[in-house]
Order: sequence, then structure tokens, then C-alpha cells
Amino acid sequence: MSTLTRYSAVPYTGPAPTNRLPYVPANGEAIARRQAELAAHIAFPYVRPEDKQDLPTFIVERERIVEVLRALHDDPELQFTMPLDLFCVDYPKRKKEGRFEIIYQLYSLKNNERIRLKVHANEEQPVPSSYPLFKGFDWFEREAFDLFGVRFEGHPNLRRILTHEAFQGHALRKDYDPAQRWILTEKDVAVLVPVVTQTPQDSEFEQVTLNLGPSHPATHGTLRIAVTLDGETIIGAATEIGYLHRCFEKMAETHTYQQVIPFTDRLNYMSAIINNVGYCMAVEKLLGVEAPPRAQHIRLMLSEFMRIADHLVCIGTNLVDMGALTNFWYLFQPREEIYGLVEACCGARLLPSYTRIGGLAVDVPSNFMEMAQSLVKSIPRYIDDVDKLISRNRIFHERVKGISPISAQDAINFGFTGPCLRACGVPHDIRKTNPYLGYETYDFDVPIAEGGDTYARYLVRMEEMRQSLRILQQAIDRGLPEGPVIIDDPYIALPPKEKVYNEMESLIYHFKLIMHGIQPPVGETYFQVEGGNGELGFYIVSDGTKNPYRVRVRPPCFAIYQAFTQMITGQTIPDAVAALGSLNIIAGELDR
Amino acid sequence: MGVIKVEQKKLSLSERLYFPQIIAGMFLTLGHLLKNLFNMKGLPIISYPEVKRIYSERFRGRHILTSREDGTTRCVACYMCSTACPAECITIEAGEDERTREKFPVRYDIDLLRCIFCGYCVDACPEDAIYMTRDYEMAIDSRARSVVGLRDLVVPPNFPTEPMGWRPYYGTMRKEGTAGGTGLGQELREAPFEDDAAPNPDLYRGN
Repeated sequence: MSTLTRYSAVPYTGPAPTNRLPYVPANGEAIARRQAELAAHIAFPYVRPEDKQDLPTFIVERERIVEVLRALHDDPELQFTMPLDLFCVDYPKRKKEGRFEIIYQLYSLKNNERIRLKVHANEEQPVPSSYPLFKGFDWFEREAFDLFGVRFEGHPNLRRILTHEAFQGHALRKDYDPAQRWILTEKDVAVLVPVVTQTPQDSEFEQVTLNLGPSHPATHGTLRIAVTLDGETIIGAATEIGYLHRCFEKMAETHTYQQVIPFTDRLNYMSAIINNVGYCMAVEKLLGVEAPPRAQHIRLMLSEFMRIADHLVCIGTNLVDMGALTNFWYLFQPREEIYGLVEACCGARLLPSYTRIGGLAVDVPSNFMEMAQSLVKSIPRYIDDVDKLISRNRIFHERVKGISPISAQDAINFGFTGPCLRACGVPHDIRKTNPYLGYETYDFDVPIAEGGDTYARYLVRMEEMRQSLRILQQAIDRGLPEGPVIIDDPYIALPPKEKVYNEMESLIYHFKLIMHGIQPPVGETYFQVEGGNGELGFYIVSDGTKNPYRVRVRPPCFAIYQAFTQMITGQTIPDAVAALGSLNIIAGELDR
Repeated sequence: MGVIKVEQKKLSLSERLYFPQIIAGMFLTLGHLLKNLFNMKGLPIISYPEVKRIYSERFRGRHILTSREDGTTRCVACYMCSTACPAECITIEAGEDERTREKFPVRYDIDLLRCIFCGYCVDACPEDAIYMTRDYEMAIDSRARSVVGLRDLVVPPNFPTEPMGWRPYYGTMRKEGTAGGTGLGQELREAPFEDDAAPNPDLYRGN
């Protein structure tokens, strides 16, 4: 067994932590310039820019927000057509402007640009709903209402979404005691009524309402769907989520930055390392540090392995739902082996918690590259088997072609990202548009397909696995860079154990870091990675203490699942099941 | 930006006739069947519990508390592990050795149902006291047994460090016992605890 170097031998001589200093974004000047350009372009009197943000940020008057959103959406030069995220941050001490800061993040596919709008409100002041303009903000507004009590005026269906009907109070408010428990009794349970949108004129059938889930083998997670059927055709549908809600965001507020990492495993548990990487990189951005090259290389490789595992599970279970069980066995074999590799690195298969802020927990085993190479060689065989069995199979074709389609325009309006958006023909991939971990130096293609139906999503995922394998082969050919896997900063990373055992100074650093945690500068930042399902973003607000003031996850599933009722209306129940599988809704990420 | 469009070719005549494709698929699965028949050892199957999966040396399984040469636990009840624990599953009560004035745990409970096996306690320990083993069989028949105490966790001094799971340091170095080690307080440690009336001998098998 080799001795693993977790640390460089050079003693730390860097600066002391920047406790309670303001956060300064790395490319602040460029952002300020673009912000001034945008401000001149928008030229609304009730929009004012905010300084020292990592994105062009504007504070908008509450009543005017929809007007501004519409202008940004319709502007032919800007085209901020994609709603990325809408969430709230609670500042109870801000009496004058209102305690809630509602943050809108929009994305422009044309310019590859992001913009952040902020609106201030208090409990009594309603915020105009952006729902008809951005359909993707439907659930995000409901979530802000549920967890903060922000009222959105004009929202057609403003009720709780993640917590249950008997829940009292708003969980993410700062004055909400996290130890409170609310019990849902049977009398409080609301009946889920599907909204019938397509009423057939002269039907010979009686309308039947059918309940699918929350514990149904075809839903792959605790999702509940109620559908109204006319014969076999779904004429109305409703979804209910929140069965797996554990308020990750509240838990993050009561734990230190380092302690949040195991919780991020449980978001999209099919590709947990991508979540780890996304969160750690967001905190690293806030701290203004970067993981060592070796750690970045390992992070990239494991992220790609995880993406493959995610797609394998998605396609495998999707095909099981359609009765093609053999493919499931063929696809789960490489997934097992990928998890074996992850387990060899960090000791757990599904919930690795492998990354740490500033690098990795430990170095990879010495035979990591050989294991990775043998995996990369063996995986295509399994994919090819499924390709041969399924891709040209007429039964499969007739089962999925043209089923549950969504147009590119609708998908963008709903805030789709990832494979589901690319299946609509939109070539959007964070690894290309906002490269991180050195993805810009790798040669790979973004697969797109036409139609946005279940078949297109299948094809895109199959091709993405091959592209991920291409990236992995290049990463293996380049070899692992030498050096430590975690930065040498005792205010961020734990000192190596041999020093802790033998040196007083290191022991003090060790104690200090565990007792007082990492204390990043005061400010807020957003960082996004390409998760298995699309843009996985972490928005972190720091007040300079050891616990995050607010951690917001931008869950890709949440945006995608909103469109599900629209997608299945007019289809049959088996089509709905196939569509659900192809969207790859992971309840852990959906409900957080 | 490299973008490739996944082609959606129309099915050819033979593919539209169902049967050629079905037969081709049958041949593919038959190939797998034959390959597996003649290579039973290469099957990706573990016949649990007769055969057990061997996890890596980093596996995060059930915890142990290591001992010094003289039989006292290395743990000095500094509360680092319980502070670092994201799941808040470790409960420690510290006692003091009367002769050496050394701190030691009078009570050290881990609620295995709360534990998320993240390994943070091992990373946080400054005394080389807590390790995670490769033991993953922790089935219990009542909720009360989920809490394991000192008598389940502490292992004897000669406990082999390999094979072992997640541990603070991968290498030859171990922290040597420098302080304590009088053996006093051992009686206290072995006294039955009120909430630990039914210790589970199965949980500690000393493998």
C-alpha cells in the first residue's frame, strides 16, 4: 500500500482568512462593464444595478418586475428567454425595503449570458407573478410561497408544493425553528384533482380519474400523478411532489460549509459526485480559491463516469417500464462497475461525499487510471448491445416515436436544460457554454436531436454516453497531474494527519477548522455545472460565519417536471410512463 | 462548438418486418447466455450470503474505537467527531482519570440509524481513535439496538488494522499512545450503561 500524499510539504504562508470581508468576484471589471451596457440598454428608471456581484445584477421595483422580465424576454438583442431560477432569501432585519429578496435568474441562449434581477418585498406586499410569461417560474413561485410565504399576485395555483397541507409556517424563514414537526393526518390530505384541458366532444366513455403513485413501480421515486382518462386517452393530469422533501436548504443553514457536502449526495443520487463538485466549486468561487490540478482532473473524470451512470440508469429503467427487461441487465452491469470505481476512491458507492472544499478527501488509489481505462474499454460493449437490441427495433420505435413531444420554444420557456433540452434541438451544454474543470480543453460534441419526444431523449442520452467516454479517454491519455489533491490552506482544508498527530500548530488548525468551520467572505455567488439532468446550480449567500446564510440549489428536474402534465395530455397511460422515465426525474433532486 | 445531430433514420424494410430484428436480438441474448454458460466464474453475480462482496480499503462501514497497547481506548473525548458529524449521531460523555488527569469517554454512543457513513468523524479525530471497518452487515431487529456504545465499539489493542475501511491515514504511520495508559478508568468503561442494557454481541464480531 502506497503512502498517499494529501498535502504538499511546504508550510502555509498565505494570508489569514478573509472573515467578514466582502466578496469580490474574480472578473469584477468585465461584469461591471457588461452591467453598465445592459443598464443603458434596458434604460428603465425603476431598475438600478447592484455592485460587486458575480453576474450582472439589477434591483427592480416590485410592481414593475413583470414589465422588466417581459422587456428582457422580448428584446431582440438580449433574448433572455430561459427562466433559470427564482428563489427567495430572507433578511428579517431589513425593515425598510422588505425582508424578502426574491432573485430571478434568466439566461439568454443567443448571447450565452446570464442576468440576475432582485425584488424586495415583505410579508404583506404581493409580487406580480411572472407565470404566463415564463411558464418555468410556475413551481418556483409556488416554492417561494411555500417556504417563505411570499405572495405572488396573479399566480393561478398558488398553494404549497414541497411541504404538506398541515404544515404551519414557512420553513425557510430565518425565524422558523428547524426542530418543529408537523403531522399530516388523513383529514388534512387534499384530494389531487386533475385539470381537464382537453374535453372530447362526443365521447362514448365515462371519464375516470386514476391515481399513479406516490409508490408505484413506474414512477421510480415518490412522484404522484393523477390523470383523468377518457377511454385510454389522458385528457387532464396533475402532479404532486414533495414526498421526499427534507428541506436540504434549511439543513444547510444549520450546518457548516463542509458538513453540507454529504447532503448534496442525496440530491441527484444517481450522479452524486457531480453534485459534490458543483457545491464545492460554488464555495471555492466564493472563497476565491481553486482546487489543485490533480483534484480537478479526478473531479472531471469521476463527473463523466457519473454522467454515464446516470444515463445508464435512466435508459435502463425507462426500457424496463416499456417491458424491455434484458436491456436493464446489460446497462446495470457497467453502472455497477462505475460504482465500484467510486467505492475504491472514497469508500461508498451511491453516496460518495468524495470532494471537499478545496479538493478531494483523499487521493485516488494508485491503480485508479488502470481501473478507469478498463472501464472505458468495457462500457461501449454494453451500450452497443442495447443499441443493437433497441435502437432499430420497430416495437420500440412505435412505442416512443412522437410520444410526449415538447417543442424547443416550450422547453426553453419551461426552463429545460440538459439532455431533455438537447433532445428538442437546442445545443446548450454548460460544459461548452461555461466551461469548468478544464472542459474547454477536451474535444467532444454536444449531441442534439429533433422532435423532443421520448425517442429523441433516448438517442441524445445514448450519444452523450459515447461523448463522455471520449472525454474520459482523453483524460486518461493525458494522465493524472502530479501534486496534492487538496489545497494547502489550513483555513479551508484539514491539515494532514501526520502533522496533526505531531505538530501543535497543525493540531490547532485542525481544531479551529472543525470547531469554527470555513468562514468565506460576505457575499453571494452562483455556480453552475452540467449535471446528469441539466444545469445544476448552487447559489450561496454567506454572512461570514461558519454556516451558510442560504444555500439554494437550482434543481434541473424541478423545472423539467413542471411540463410533464402538458406533455402527457392527449397520450395514454403507458406513454406517460415512458415519458416519465425518459425525463429522468429523480425525487431526491426534485423535492430536495 | 462541436454539435452533432443524432440521426433518426427511417427503418429499413427488414427492420419493419419485425422478425429479422427479433431474431437478431435473440441471437444477441443467446450469445450472452452461451458466454455465461461457459464462463460461470466470470458471472457478475455474488451469491450473498455464501459469498460476500469485498469492498476496498476505504469502505465506510461500521465504526470501531481503537485501543492503546495497555488496553485503554485512544479516544480522549475531545468531541471533535461529534462536532464534525453532519448527522449528529455521536453522543459523548467525558470522564477524568483520577491519577493521570486524562480525559476519556465514559459514554460513547453512535446511533447507527442516524449515521450517514460519511466518514467525517474519522477525518476529524486527532487521536487516531475512530476508524471505519469494512463491516456492512448491521441489520438489527429493534430500534433500541441501533445505538452502539463503548462495549460494541472498542476493539482490543491487537486488533488488526488491515483489512480496514476508511481510516485517517493510508500508510504505515500510526499515532503512538503517549498520554494516559494507566488502565485506570477501565472499570468505569466496562460498567453497564443504563441505556445500553442490551448490548448486541453480533455487532462486534472482531473480524
